[in-house]
Amino acid sequence: MRWKHLPALIALSNSMTEPELIEGILRRDRHAFQYLVTRYQKQVIKTACYFVGNMEDAEDLSQEIFLDIIHSLHTFKKSSSLSTWIYRITVNKSINMVKKQQRRGIMMRLESLFRLTTGQETGKEMEPSVSSDDFEQQEKRELLHAAISRLPENQRIAFILCKYEDQTYKQIAEIMKIGLPAVESLIHRARLNLQKHLTYHFSEYKKN
Amino acid sequence: MDCNQFKSNVFAFSEKTLEKDTYQAAEHHVSTCISCSRLLSEYKVLADIMEQEKNAGPNPFAATRILQRIENEFYKPKGLTSKAWMRVLQPVAITFALMTGILIGSYTARQDQTPVNKMASTSENIEFLRSNLFISDFADEDKLLVLNK
Repeated sequence: MRWKHLPALIALSNSMTEPELIEGILRRDRHAFQYLVTRYQKQVIKTACYFVGNMEDAEDLSQEIFLDIIHSLHTFKKSSSLSTWIYRITVNKSINMVKKQQRRGIMMRLESLFRLTTGQETGKEMEPSVSSDDFEQQEKRELLHAAISRLPENQRIAFILCKYEDQTYKQIAEIMKIGLPAVESLIHRARLNLQKHLTYHFSEYKKN
Repeated sequence: MDCNQFKSNVFAFSEKTLEKDTYQAAEHHVSTCISCSRLLSEYKVLADIMEQEKNAGPNPFAATRILQRIENEFYKPKGLTSKAWMRVLQPVAITFALMTGILIGSYTARQDQTPVNKMASTSENIEFLRSNLFISDFADEDKLLVLNK
């Protein structure tokens, strides 16, 4: 059976409970895989996207995340919900990818620096033509992402899960395996740091 | 509330997570201060951007791609074409081809390098030299010279 019957199977498997899903995945059952992907793909891709910064990378990463989920499901201890466990895997994988990207970014910056010092042309990337409103919106989006990516790792995870994924403090505590007061503190400090960075930028912007 | 106090609460104010009294004081301040009102509008734009990003859905084909990847991982038969095998087989095949080429080359070269067969008789050797060097007639001195060598 191939994936062409996907919509019908989704309808069929809508009633699958969490234990049934886990059992199905452990049996390597196609229906269970389909249900897992349709049920959790949005959660996984969106969370990954907030960390890696673009949808294409997030979608590529989501394939690895789902394979990881299937391969390591036998280690799931059922002390938390499956969704929480999936969030944990998603966050860890995304953070690892961001670290890899940062390392690659350093290398690329060094390479471009080398090209500049040796007089080679860097070659500008094509930029789509955008209206001034779009440009301003894009600029603010980049500013926001830059501010979030500058947050310390734990603050960034807590803030993204809280603001973008609407997770409660209790759920965040379970995902991050820390206590509730620690989550509150992380989110508070994340807000202050973001505010500091953004307000500084806006005041600089006004001066210019 | 003054401008500095407002600045330190602007994020929470834009998110409406301030306590009631503080929120009202901030609301009053922002209605009278132009620069803080501008700052607040910037934060509101950021809040809108965050909301847009929250509502953006993934590519509708993403699920199909993920499922295809799972299909390849768990259901496709893994024979000699699998990556692990190819990683081993490719270098082995290349090394084998190279070694065979070298052996064939050295064997044929050795075959060509036997102008005079030492075990053959003198007349056979002379015949061989005649045919190879295109010499129709040898003088007796030449015969002696060749044979002495």
